[in-house]
Amino acid sequence: MGYGRSDSYRVATTTEKDEKESPKKADTKAEKKIKDMDDLKKEVPLTEHKMSVEEVCQKYSTDIVQGLTNAKAAEYLARDGPNALTPPPTTPEWVKFCRQLFGGFSILLWTGAILCFLAYAIQAATEDEPAGDNLYLGIVLSAVVIITGCFSYFQEAKSSKIMESFKNMVPQQALVIREGEKMQINAEEVVAGDLVEVKGGDRIPADLRIVSSHGCKVDNSSLTGESEPQTRSPDCTHDNPLETRNVAFFSTNCVEGTARGIVVCTGDRTVMGRIATLTSGLESGKTPIAKEIEHFIHLITGVAVFLGITFFILAVCLGYTWLEAVIFLIGIIVANVPEGLLATVTVCLTLTAKRMARKNCLVKNLEAVETLGSTSTICSDKTGTLTQNRMTVAHMWFDNQIHEADTTEDQSGASFDKSSETWLALARVAALCNRAQFKAAQDQLPILKRDVAGDASESALLKCIELSCGSVKQMREKNKKVAEIPFNSTNKYQLSVHETENEEDNRYLLVMKGAPERILDRCSTILIQGKEQPMDEEMKDAFQNAYMELGGLGERVLGFCHLLMPEDQYPKGFAFDCDDVNFTTENLCFVGLMSMIDPPRAAVPDAVGKCRSAGIKVIMVTGDHPITAKAIAKGVGIISEGNETVEDIASRLNIPVSQVNPRDAKACVIHGTDLKDLSQEQMDDILRNHTEIVFARTSPQQKLIIVEGCQRQVRHTQTDGAIVAVTGDGVNDSPALKKADIGVAMGISGSDVSKQAADMILLDDNFASIVTGVEEGRLIFDNLKKSIAYTLTSNIPEITPFLFFILVNIPLPLGTITILCIDLGTDMVPAISLAYEAAESDIMKRQPRNPTRDKLVNERLISIAYGQIGMIQALGGFFSYFVILAENGFLPSLLVGIRLNWDDRSNNDLEDSYGQQWTYEQRKIVEYTCHTAFFVSIVVVQWADVIICKTRRNSVFQQGMRNKILIFGLFEETALAAFLSYTPGMDVALRMYPLKPSWWFCAFPYSFLIFVYDEIRKLILRRNPGGWVEKETYY
Amino acid sequence: MSANKEGDGGWKSFLWNSERKEFLGRTGSSWFKIFLFYLIFYGCLAGIFIGTIQALLLTLSDYKPTYQDRVAPPGLSHTPRSEKFEISYNLNDPQTYVKYVKSISTFLDTYSDERQEEKAKFEDCGDVPRTYTERGDLDSENGVRMACRFKRSWLGECAGLANDDTYGFKTGEPCLIAKLNRIVNFRPRPPTSNASIPEAGMVRVQPNVIPIHCQNKREEDANKIGEIRYFGLGNGFPLQYYPYYGKLLHPQYLQPLVAIKFTNLTFNEELRLECKVYGANIDYSEKDRYQGRFDVKFTISNS
Repeated sequence: MGYGRSDSYRVATTTEKDEKESPKKADTKAEKKIKDMDDLKKEVPLTEHKMSVEEVCQKYSTDIVQGLTNAKAAEYLARDGPNALTPPPTTPEWVKFCRQLFGGFSILLWTGAILCFLAYAIQAATEDEPAGDNLYLGIVLSAVVIITGCFSYFQEAKSSKIMESFKNMVPQQALVIREGEKMQINAEEVVAGDLVEVKGGDRIPADLRIVSSHGCKVDNSSLTGESEPQTRSPDCTHDNPLETRNVAFFSTNCVEGTARGIVVCTGDRTVMGRIATLTSGLESGKTPIAKEIEHFIHLITGVAVFLGITFFILAVCLGYTWLEAVIFLIGIIVANVPEGLLATVTVCLTLTAKRMARKNCLVKNLEAVETLGSTSTICSDKTGTLTQNRMTVAHMWFDNQIHEADTTEDQSGASFDKSSETWLALARVAALCNRAQFKAAQDQLPILKRDVAGDASESALLKCIELSCGSVKQMREKNKKVAEIPFNSTNKYQLSVHETENEEDNRYLLVMKGAPERILDRCSTILIQGKEQPMDEEMKDAFQNAYMELGGLGERVLGFCHLLMPEDQYPKGFAFDCDDVNFTTENLCFVGLMSMIDPPRAAVPDAVGKCRSAGIKVIMVTGDHPITAKAIAKGVGIISEGNETVEDIASRLNIPVSQVNPRDAKACVIHGTDLKDLSQEQMDDILRNHTEIVFARTSPQQKLIIVEGCQRQVRHTQTDGAIVAVTGDGVNDSPALKKADIGVAMGISGSDVSKQAADMILLDDNFASIVTGVEEGRLIFDNLKKSIAYTLTSNIPEITPFLFFILVNIPLPLGTITILCIDLGTDMVPAISLAYEAAESDIMKRQPRNPTRDKLVNERLISIAYGQIGMIQALGGFFSYFVILAENGFLPSLLVGIRLNWDDRSNNDLEDSYGQQWTYEQRKIVEYTCHTAFFVSIVVVQWADVIICKTRRNSVFQQGMRNKILIFGLFEETALAAFLSYTPGMDVALRMYPLKPSWWFCAFPYSFLIFVYDEIRKLILRRNPGGWVEKETYY
Repeated sequence: MSANKEGDGGWKSFLWNSERKEFLGRTGSSWFKIFLFYLIFYGCLAGIFIGTIQALLLTLSDYKPTYQDRVAPPGLSHTPRSEKFEISYNLNDPQTYVKYVKSISTFLDTYSDERQEEKAKFEDCGDVPRTYTERGDLDSENGVRMACRFKRSWLGECAGLANDDTYGFKTGEPCLIAKLNRIVNFRPRPPTSNASIPEAGMVRVQPNVIPIHCQNKREEDANKIGEIRYFGLGNGFPLQYYPYYGKLLHPQYLQPLVAIKFTNLTFNEELRLECKVYGANIDYSEKDRYQGRFDVKFTISNS
């Protein structure tokens, strides 16, 4: 973070601030950083727009004609550094890799691995022939972490590669004037004080104080979110530097015209630079799923340590040596580590990420997959996300009637009566008095998809006319233009003079469009049903009403008029002079009004509705005008029908706003300037008491404040804050994107900075895709629970053999290798297949999960998995173990206490219950066969487990067995178990021995028992909602 | 485990929340209910488990294990046992071999004559090797079966009946007592061809006996092991002692023994010896060093 540079910026612009700060220079760095961040959150302290051009020149010792001298420029360049944004501190690849290796769940496995190596070291130091089990286990654990770490690292690298492809690599050029000479230089070399010339199509190279302009318009959308191009002129029009006309900002685009300006800030000191610095300085907190995994690790560690210590004490009491007891302790703790779970969780998240990517949600960070699912508030940008990001003609007023135009993306909406003469006249005016034109070679594209050269409103008109009246180009060819006065801010109109279509008619046609009130002033007649009628007061009232109504819809209204010029005054060949107007521009004939809006996307109202039913609050935050914002909010349902703002209530009841009880209004529209004066408490109050909120005219810094406010929101009187998603495309959104729990950037219209700051990218820029994200996020949370419940269950049949081996001295029923075969082999596919499980109920109809109460893994899940199902599974395993030993001659009664003799290599005549004598190897083969049988039994009981884990509340019979991956998983684990048992050579490789067919069936009754038990449990759960069974067992 | 709800100070109130009368996050009645539930639950599970074990036991025969494929072919074990396949001692230090001597004495005690006197339980099966002694089917019909007497004196110099109560250990001519592991209803069959039997062992091949032969395991030890002498009925395992009817029907059963005396082992050197039994249904395994054979390392030092 370059706070040093920020300092120098303050030296340059806000000297009084620096003085105030100087006594604090001794502060610690950390404090300064916080202060610095707060400073960045404040509004832009630019002052040059209020100075005269001369003052600015003086300040930067530059000249309005000659520009800087080369020497001065070099000096400034050396002082300020290049004009480029400091790239956000990119994390080196190895740090990212290490984060994957040591983050979250991996820590648990690493701890396990280290304990294993420790145990092996103890054994190696104290025994002559240490058993290799602990060593292998340690190696396998490390391998699992490293492999899954690599896997998720590459997974993330893949999505960040997609990110990089978005980057614009073309170096920018700038035209500067130095020592009176125009020169094209690299934009990076531009310094403060440089005189810069920009023209339509250029990117503004730095923050400019405009000194002269010719019809210059800039597109500030990436900075403010406002899609409308804005005029730039040398006059200061507003105190706020972001609103004034005489400042052009770094990295915005000049749409048309030319302008000259003096560079006032470069690089990180520009407004854009400050936002970028603010963004990279913000720290985003842990993802909800990371918190869940942490909680899970706490639980698992708790259980592991509890078991470990208990059996350590028991072992010591039973007369084992301290060292042996320590090794048992480590063994038990390690046995509690679910080796396969890390991989399972990673794969489940990856699968969901892929599924979301197919639905146009690209997730940058795997953990963010679930975040949308727990989101309780979405702060959405307006332009481009909720709207189509193109001006479209929405309404027309002619023949004293408002007509509605079709604004849908696919032209499926209703149309209006096009037969009226007036409409034809209006269309002609709109087509002729219009400088926009389609770019070449797009004839095969649908009209709405074509690119247009020209500003947004003219493009809207062009498309509208092209759609309803056919080729505008032909119309223009037939009516050749002879003169034109372009739009300027003093006239507020644009006019052009054309020949008429009729060859014999030598009159000229004057067409004009502009601000409606200005146009009306110039008209004396009005066209009604194709006939000119005098403009009377009644018509003027009608006009006013229509104008107000359309304006109230947040639409931008244009007025149109025309005049067929009398031939006697303006004969053919009359020289129209546009600079010194030598023709009439009064007493025209008013034709109609057309109003335009950036219409909402078709899918958005539905998506907003879904969010609402899913308990998610949607807040609109936009840089646009409150009226437009409110209109769109109403259009998409962010302010739902029937809900009123304070202002609405006031106007309905005809009382002043101050008399309305703010509690009565559920909706509210808050203006950025009001927001500035709100205290934190007032802000919280607004967020808490209004369900439907629109923030308009907000600055980037305010967006950040809003997001922080939302995150502070307390839900259901719990201590944790709300989980906030923010969508945005502009640079101005990026601090908010970063601060949000999940930042969602736009793939098409989004700026690079916003994509960098975001966790997720909507490839189709459509708000509706967020709903998909929410749905997938909620589903994966549910399914991860099931997956974890499934995986954890088999932990019990894996630990208990070791416990009994220690406690009652029986031959070991299940070895380390077989445990690994379960955790990393047979359990894998079924656990992953649960990620494909369909939702049990409509997950979009319930409230967002409560992060404090609704945990991924809770005590109830542990209780069910460990205490109940796991225990039944263990019995199933032990039963097969006893069957095999008994059928080979060792009855259960003989086994207790046999361990020392059994494991004695020199004892080669160990007697069984029938008096037969066994050599060490012979009985070891039986023991390994038992391991295999125990393993197969776990597979068998896990069949039932995966089926019961499919649902948490419903019966399997309600849910069905439609999950094909799960069915595949059942067959796969069985086939794998058979393969491991029967493949020749497995006895050497994994110490697994072939089983007699009957031994496969030992665990069947237990498998069945699990199924029946859990079905009954779920039945009680459904029958008795909120009852004891639900309280104790619903996870 | 659900601590930290109120931050760090939560532990104490988690342990005992006096306000809500909660111990470890649960009230007394809540603890009682969950405890009762698990008590009943585990009670039922234990019942079911015991039930299935009982069902298992019902399927088992009392006299013959269901499967014997892992225990047969039989192992060949020896007394005294080796530790890590090694028997090493110092001639001059009785402490180093007393455990071996003791182990042989204890083992041979069961073969002492006074233990075999009871006529109802023991019978003489002859002083020469004979064929299998059939005692009926493997069921309870004929009751407990008689056991053949095995005279300890047949072990000759290794019987420990003479003055030498150290079984030759003291003089550096140690005895090993070898036995073929017991397997219910197993009838070892004498070798059908002599191909596999080393020449030195051929002299002891005779009908109705499973011969045993010991020799050096390593080529270079060939001249260091000297003469090996064998004692026992037929210098091998005579067939009249088979088959074994199992612990229940054949409680007094004495398996035939062979004593192997190494009379001229080279001292102060590790010698690897291998003893093998030969028979048609005797097998050996790469991995199992005691199946049908054993090998043992002798290190006798005299300094």
